[in-house]
Parts: sequence; C-alpha cells; structure tokens
Amino acid sequence: MPGSASTTHRPEGLIERLRSAAADGGEAKLKVLRELKNQIIGNRTKKLSYIKLGAVPSVVSILSSASSSVDCLLIQCAATIGSFACGVDAGVKAVLDAGAFPHLINLLSHSNEKVVDAGARALKMIYQSKAAPKYDFFQHKNIEFLISLLDKNNENVTGLGASIITHSCETNNEQKILADAGVLKKLINLLQGTTSQRESSLESFATIIKQNPEVITKFVGPENSTTFGSLLELTKDRYPRTRLLACICLTLIKNATSSSSSSYLQSVGIRTKLILVLLELVDDFGQVGDEALFTLSSFIEHEEDLQKLAFEANTVDKLCHQMQKESLQAKRLEGIFTTLGSLCSNLEPCRSIVLQSPKALIIITDALTHTTTDVRVAACICLKNVSRSVKYLSAGHFMTEAVIMPVIQLLYDASTSVQVAALCTVSNLVVDFRTHKSLFIQSGGVKQLVELSKSMDSTVKLNAVWALRNLMFLVDSRCKEEIFMDLKLFPLTRLISDSNACVQEQALGLVCNLVNGPVDSIMYLFTEGLLLNTVGRELRRASKPQVLVQAMYVMCNVASGKEFEKEAVMQQLVNEDDNNQSIIVTLLQSDVASLRTAVVWTVVNLTIPTGAGALARVVKLRNAGVVSQLKNMVNDPCLDVKLRVRTALGQSMTFGDFST
Amino acid sequence: MPVRMVESPAPSNSSGANYGQTCLQPCSLLSVGQAFSGTQNVSSPQKDEAWRVNVRIQGCDLDHGYLCGTMEALNVPMADTPVVTFWEGEIVDTKNYTFFTNKWKATSEVDIEHWTKFPSFSPLLSQVEVDGGKSLDLSNYQYIFMRWKEQYFVNVGADCGLTIAGFYYVCFSCVDGSINGYYYDPNSSPFQKLELKTTNEGRSGFSFSSYELQ
Repeated sequence: MPGSASTTHRPEGLIERLRSAAADGGEAKLKVLRELKNQIIGNRTKKLSYIKLGAVPSVVSILSSASSSVDCLLIQCAATIGSFACGVDAGVKAVLDAGAFPHLINLLSHSNEKVVDAGARALKMIYQSKAAPKYDFFQHKNIEFLISLLDKNNENVTGLGASIITHSCETNNEQKILADAGVLKKLINLLQGTTSQRESSLESFATIIKQNPEVITKFVGPENSTTFGSLLELTKDRYPRTRLLACICLTLIKNATSSSSSSYLQSVGIRTKLILVLLELVDDFGQVGDEALFTLSSFIEHEEDLQKLAFEANTVDKLCHQMQKESLQAKRLEGIFTTLGSLCSNLEPCRSIVLQSPKALIIITDALTHTTTDVRVAACICLKNVSRSVKYLSAGHFMTEAVIMPVIQLLYDASTSVQVAALCTVSNLVVDFRTHKSLFIQSGGVKQLVELSKSMDSTVKLNAVWALRNLMFLVDSRCKEEIFMDLKLFPLTRLISDSNACVQEQALGLVCNLVNGPVDSIMYLFTEGLLLNTVGRELRRASKPQVLVQAMYVMCNVASGKEFEKEAVMQQLVNEDDNNQSIIVTLLQSDVASLRTAVVWTVVNLTIPTGAGALARVVKLRNAGVVSQLKNMVNDPCLDVKLRVRTALGQSMTFGDFST
Repeated sequence: MPVRMVESPAPSNSSGANYGQTCLQPCSLLSVGQAFSGTQNVSSPQKDEAWRVNVRIQGCDLDHGYLCGTMEALNVPMADTPVVTFWEGEIVDTKNYTFFTNKWKATSEVDIEHWTKFPSFSPLLSQVEVDGGKSLDLSNYQYIFMRWKEQYFVNVGADCGLTIAGFYYVCFSCVDGSINGYYYDPNSSPFQKLELKTTNEGRSGFSFSSYELQ
C-alpha cells in the first residue's frame, strides 16, 4: 500500500531546500540541484511547475555565487538551467529573466572543458528557442566571438555558434556579414565532424544562403567544388536528417539562382537524384518526412521540367496513396497538399492521376474543413491547381455540391489567407463550361463574391473580382441577370475605376464577358448610361496596357451590336470637337500587339458596311486620322493585327478610297 | 495614300540546327470563347449525309501547342439529342508537335495524304516529307494546322452507338477564321470533311470573351 509522500519529495519541499541551499551553500547545493535536474529532465509538466514555484532564480543565484573552482557545481547549475530551457519557451524566458545569460557566457572561457561544455549546451538550448535574444552580427567583437566558437574543438560549442546563426541571422545584410567573415567556410569544415555538428552546421549554412543569390554566387556553387561536392555527398548520408538538410541547402541554392545566368543544379541526373532522396525521406512519418515534403514542393515549385521529373518518379501516385492513410498529422497533410499542388500547377497528367484516384478529391475537399488554417489553405491551393484542367472543368467534374459547398464556406473563413486561397480556387471552378454555373449562384456564392469585391484588403478584392469575371464567362442569360442584379451598377463602376490597375483589368474583363453572348446582353452597359461612360473614361485615363486591352474589348463587343450601340461607341472614341489626336489613333500606335489587335477589331465592327450609319462612321474615322493610321499598319509585325487591318481597310474602302 | 500590302510569305526554313522554334502568334479568332458552325460530311457510298456541327474553343495554350473545346453534332440520326464531345487539339507549331502524328493509327503516309488535301499545305509539303516540318518556322503563316482528337462524350454515354475513335486533321485560316478538317479513322468512311465558319451569334460584328485560370 502506497504511503503519503514526505514534503521534502514534493516540489514545494524541493524548492524550500533549494532556497536554503542557495543561501547556506555547501554540499547541499550540489545534491538538491542534481535532484531538481533529474526531476525536470524530459518532463515538460514538471518544468512548468518548478518554473511557477520560482526554482529558476534560485538556480541562477547558486551559479552566480559559485566559485569558479567548484567545477561540479558550475556544471550542475548549467545543466539544470539548460534543462529548464530545453524545448520550453517559458523556461527560456524564466532563465533569461533570472539573468543567467552572462553567467553562462562566462563559463565558455573556463579552463575546465566539462564546464565549457555544460555552459555551451545550456546556451545552445536557449538559442534553439524563439524567445532567445537576437544576436547582433553588426558588432565586430560579436563576429569575432562567434568565429571563436566555431573554431573550438567542442561539439556543443560549435553547435552553440551554429544555433546563434540559425536563430539570429534574418536579413540579407546579416547573411553577407557572416559570409564575408568566412563563416560559410567554417561551417563547411564542420561538416566533417560529428552528426550533431553536421546537422547544426547545415542548418546555419541554409540560414546564411537563404534567398541570397549574391552570397551563393560568391561562396557556393560548382566552382567552389568542395562546398557543392560536400552538400551533394551528404544527400547520401546514413542519417535521414542530414540527407534532408543537405537537400534543403541544395534547394535554396537552386531556387535563389534559378533566374540568374549562373544557375546551379542544372544536371538532370543530380536533379532526379535529389527528388528521389526527398521522396524516400517522405516515408519517414516524423518531422523529417514532413520537412522533406515542403522541401520537395519548394524544389519543383517554379520549374515545369522539375515537376516532370518528380512526376516521372511517381510522386503523384505516392502522395495520393499516402494521403489515404488514417489519422495523418496536420503538418503531413499540409505537406502532401502543397506538393501535389505544385505538381498539378502545370502538368495535366498529374491532375488526371489525382482526379482518377478513387479517394483523392474526396480527401482534398474534406480537408477544406480541417481545423488547422494551414491545412485548409494547402487543400484549397491543391484543388485550385488540380482544377486548372480545362478537360475536367469541361466535364463538369468540380461543379458538384461536394466540392462547391465547402469552397463557398471558405469564402466566409475568419482567416484572410484562407479566403484568398478559396477565391483563387473559385476563380477556376466557376469557369465550368457546362450549364452548371447556376449551382454556384444558387448556393449563395455570388453574393459573397460581391461582398468580398468591396473588401478593404486589395488581394481579397482583386481575387473576388477575378472570380466574378470567370463566372461571367459564357454564362447563360438567366444567370447573367442574377449576377448583374447582385453586383449592381454602382459597385461595378467603382471597380472599373479602382485605384489598383489589376482590379480594373479584372472588372473590365467581367464587363466584357457581360456584354458578350446574346446581343441583348449589350443593354446592360446602357443601364442609366453609366457603364459605357466609365469604360470610355478609363480608356482615356488608364496607362496599363492590360487595362486598356480589356476596356477596348468592351468597346469592341458593344460595337458588334446594333446601330445605336455602334454610335455610342463612336461617341466614346471619336470626338469631332476635340483637336487632340483621337484615342483610337493613340492606341493603334501602342507597342503592345494585343492592344493594337483589340483596337483594330473595334474599328472592324464600326466599319461593317451593312449598317445604315456605316458610311458616316467611316467618314468620322477618316477625319479622325484612323484610316491613315491603319494604312501605316498594313505590314504590322503582328500577324493578327495585320490581318484585321486589312479587313478594316477593306470595309472602309467599300465606300470609296478617301486617299484623294 | 494607298500602301501596297505585303503578301504573306511562305513559311521559312529555320537556319541550322535551331529547332527551338518560336511559338505561333496568337490569333484572336482562335481564342477561348470563339464559336464556329458548319457541317461534317459523313456520306457513304450508299447515302449522302451531312451533320450540322457547332464548335466552341474552351482552352488555348500556345506555349504547349494545346487547344481544346467542344463539338456539337446536331442532326445525328441515331441520337435523340445533339451529341456533344470534348476534344483536345495538338497545334502543329513544329516545337511541340510536327505534321507527323506518330499515333492514333496514323502513319506518315496517312498524314501527308490528309494534309495535302489543304491547298495551304502545298508550300510546306517538300519540307514535311523530309522531317515532318520540324525545321519550318510557321510563326507568321496565315494558316494553323492542328489535330483534334475527341476525348469523351459530354452529354451522352459512351454506349450511344457513336464512335470517337478517330481524329481530325484541321486547317484554320487566321484570315477569316474558317476551319477545314478531315476525319481520319481507319474504320470509318475516309476523308469525312468538316467545314466550319466563325459565327457572330446574331451580332453585327465580332465579340470576344475571356477567362483566366489562377
């Protein structure tokens, strides 16, 4: 039968003894410290409990008052402090608040190697936490101190140096200071050391080169064959974490230099090997496997060739299989969706595998309601990229309640990043070429898109308008009317005149789709006569070619209507009272071929000879200098422009050649 | 002052081994949303027959030589409703695809036999016979050659008694948006001709629409 514990074994008792030991000194200190350390090692609950009871200041007090000759006491203090700091941010905070930091730093210059080791280990624990103070690399003496740590022949001391870098190096300037001071070379040398040294060095190395092509070009790359070769060699290391870290470094090197002329890692053989190493690491269901997924995704993200290599290595099958395992952790799900999303961003065969996998689409859509925000975002982006397939969009694969309803729900998500991801996904899903757009409309999707198009967040607003524009593409008349009723005239005119040119472009694309289709659709633009005026004003005011292209196609579509509609376009584009050059001539002289094309199509529609007012329009266009300008363009370098110019001139000349 | 129009040149040969051809230039009449209508002649020795056909472009990716859309056959005898199929097109840009099909039971002889039915192909013939047209630069040519392969039935089951086993050799005119094609399927009547013209859906002019995938 268990008896009641004596007070000396309860935390309160231990604290009492610790306090009195701190005050009295002697042998008791060592004993109580050892006891405390043994209790808290690996036990988060006990650490928090002792922190609450105020144990840390007592330990630091013992350390600060200990004579430098009592080595075993110094070691016990450092070990206990290190244990409090290990893996618990509250512990790090308590240690720092109690003023342990300078005392631990002092231990590094102790003559006894074991004391140095204990001090370094405790400091390393502190630097592995986000709560640790930022190290100032701009102080020369700090760099000297850091290099002295990396030069030491002690695993924990060099590990401390590496941890300081990993924790504190954030800016390009800091990366440059460290690289210029020769830190990268020292880290590379440490790759020959123990597993722990290798791994901490690789982490620091990654921190210094991350997104810094300047540092990479100068210090890494094939011409620095030792560095590059060592990293490649470590992708074959026996330890998974080492292999992963080597892959992370090589991925950072590749990504930071892929747009420059001196891009590294071009060899297909090396690229394939790297993908295979990462894929093998994905089989680890711990942190290494999770990080391997994110590294693989980052490695292939922006290069279709790499996506092809990953596809050929059966990555899609593997991930589709893995996502079907039960009770996957959030991080793993996020990694799978992120990598699948990268693969499906360009490659149709990848999308086909995902969509033909019996459960993949169900798992992805289920994850749209996951409790973790990052998983919802990753699932959404994955679905967005899978739905880039016109083939499956056309088959109506996505416009089902099972897919649409959870995506619409995400439009109401409290997280903006989820909302943006959902808007991007909706933009694709609503392209649906069949007559199923009504499902989205009836499910309340349009109302929320309209709401989000009024958002103060420019990304939310842009993507909401984008989705509405795609929804309006080839939509039937009934749905078109419903969308227009929800959207309303004034919000639409505001969007066309938005201060963000990208919003304007999408809004004008939306209007262009609105007035496409049955000829009656053009009437939407004449509601209270406002929209056409707004579009005309933007044509005279905007400078971004993409905005002008969309605005001109609105004019073009209206000019494909009846006589009065053509006349309305003429009024917007040709002002006989204005002595300035006509906007048509100005835009015909643009360097942007797609803009010239849009303008010439508008002129083609205005000069179609069958209309009653065609001759009058041709005369006006001639007087405005449009016909002369077209004649200058008969050999336009753009074939599309050249052919339309011929049509426009041919139509104009139906009424006689005005050249004389 | 009238200016002489430069006639469209015959496609040029690219110099040397520079096979990384430029993509074809976009043609607005072959962009997403554009609609075409016409007929497909399905006559057999026993019977003259033509189906009315509507085509709509749904996707276009010139970088990858890809085009896709739907084809609707309106008066198909054995079907109660119009039959809609989804097709994917390979654009012969000499970068992604050449004139040689190398699949779908089409030999290079079959290819040449079909391509030569298009008058606009004749300036290309001699080079195509050599290398499938790989060394031709078609980026300024007024005609776009394609293969359209139907992938699935959109509104009827695969057991509707119709076949989509074959594919079309297609020639698109950038000048007026007209499309001519020949259906090839070793098991169907040879050289069934497809003739389509761009439609303006009751408008007095051309209208355009667009979407952008994210």
